Amino acid sequence: MTTAQYGAITVEPFGDSAAMVTIPHPHQSARRAGIIAFRDRFLAHRPHGVLDVVSGLESLLIEFDPLRIALEHVAYAARLVAQWAPSPAEDLPGARSVRTFAIPVVFDEETGPDLASVAEELGCTPTDVVEAIAQSTLTISLLGAAMAPMMGGLEVPRPLRRRAEPRTDVVPGSVMLAGTDAIIQPFPGPTGWRVVGRTPHTIVDISRPEPVSFAPGDVVRFVPVTPDAVAAREAGFLLPEKEPT
Amino acid sequence: MTTVALEITNSGWVTTFQDLGRRDSERRGVPTGGAADQHSATIANVLVGNARGAALLENLGGELALVPDADVLLAVTGAPAEVTVAGAPARPWSPLFVPAGQEVRVRADLARGMRTYLAVSGTFRAGTLLGSVAPDPRMGFGQLLAEGQRMLVDTQFRGFRRGFEPPLFRLPVPVPHFGEGAWTVDVLASHGTDTIAGIRELLEESSYLVTPRSDHVGLRLEGPVRHPEGDTEIVSQGVPIGALQIPHADELIVLGRYRSLTAGYPIVGVTSRACLPLLGQAGPGRQLRFRWIDRETSLRHCAQRDAEVGALERAVVEAFGARGFEAPLSTTNREAILT
Repeated sequence: MTTAQYGAITVEPFGDSAAMVTIPHPHQSARRAGIIAFRDRFLAHRPHGVLDVVSGLESLLIEFDPLRIALEHVAYAARLVAQWAPSPAEDLPGARSVRTFAIPVVFDEETGPDLASVAEELGCTPTDVVEAIAQSTLTISLLGAAMAPMMGGLEVPRPLRRRAEPRTDVVPGSVMLAGTDAIIQPFPGPTGWRVVGRTPHTIVDISRPEPVSFAPGDVVRFVPVTPDAVAAREAGFLLPEKEPT
Repeated sequence: MTTVALEITNSGWVTTFQDLGRRDSERRGVPTGGAADQHSATIANVLVGNARGAALLENLGGELALVPDADVLLAVTGAPAEVTVAGAPARPWSPLFVPAGQEVRVRADLARGMRTYLAVSGTFRAGTLLGSVAPDPRMGFGQLLAEGQRMLVDTQFRGFRRGFEPPLFRLPVPVPHFGEGAWTVDVLASHGTDTIAGIRELLEESSYLVTPRSDHVGLRLEGPVRHPEGDTEIVSQGVPIGALQIPHADELIVLGRYRSLTAGYPIVGVTSRACLPLLGQAGPGRQLRFRWIDRETSLRHCAQRDAEVGALERAVVEAFGARGFEAPLSTTNREAILT
């Protein structure tokens, strides 16, 4: 059995029906990895009356029914989980194991209108940017709006800025960057993130009982492909790489 | 069990299927969504013997009209509204018997509230996304109802054993007050309240105006605000429904049931759970005032609300039982309610 490697947690009330959990660790990577580990464990040992959780990059919002559980009990349960609960991946039967994804992406001027400005900001060429993205091993930290996978671990020399003027209508499948994070746009919509490429895969399919195939903690690599290669075959719903049997 | 078709003869501005929202979906990036005024939606269902979270209709603006092809029991709640059945005035916030082929019309007084709810005894056949009929337009799940559309309801209602005279029943219905003037919203301080000097006093002393740019993601309010000093780091985080957020612009946003993660904007308070239904009825032009309350007071208000709904549930079961109509409340449900 493993004990939590992230140490203490902070639990603060947030309104009358929610509590915010953060990890007071000096290193960002420890805070981010820790909160994912905490989230998995907390959900595996979910107290009665806890309705849902919302993952932030470095926080977890616990939503509860205050008529069924008191804030003090939520906080107590969270601290117990942080201190004692085993990692679900290792110790719980039927726990979900980490999946890996190799996602084909077309990086060009049409699919990635911000590629040139990102290169300019980093003082390199667009080819170098694509190279850096392809070299990065990213980990899904949370599912953002409309189940968009938000992932950290982009290996760029410094964090990227958001667009000063948000784009109003970004097409589905767009691969976007901000800070050292990447996200894929599942549905048409606005964004302040920098659009650098596009995958032909369907990221979220609401006609499926399980609209997405990924979850926080999963590992993603982006694989540059040419538009011709994309046109040659039907991409379809995004699925993980075959796991070795 | 019979299946009744209800034809929409007028859809008003926006009418959708609705319920109390998705469960366990926020951890997957999908907001819970659901009825903006959860209290009115709950009461509409309870009044027709449905479970609190059953599917129903939510109307925003214009006049909603529909005709059932068999006798149905329905209820209209929400904003103060003019309701007619076969042209005769009928009571909102009450079970209504609608004979086959007769038209129900609902027109809300938009100056008093934004949304009305119409529940029908039984189960609407409607598509779901992650277990809920609540719309999520952002994910391409609109649930919009159009004129001429026929909705199907599976119902066990076949009229009452004895005759009826209006009003059908006298029930202890908790009808909220939708006043003409400014509405008071109770808020709790949060860890962001003290990051902006003087914001507590400012919010309490000022009046805020709901602007037309408001939607189900948030109410955007015009009124005095203050900003934190210096640049705060942008780290996306989850926030509760009803959170008061101050963006870079000079406005105050009260986040609604379709909010997503927020990117580092200060949250200066959180609306009391008991006041959220009121916010769901606040339309453009409405004046809002904020009042700070502590957690204990807020929870007392919640418990009071819940007890009122429970009392209504028990009264409905007894009243319906006396009229020989026990369905569709299941036996277990009935026992749970009566004990």
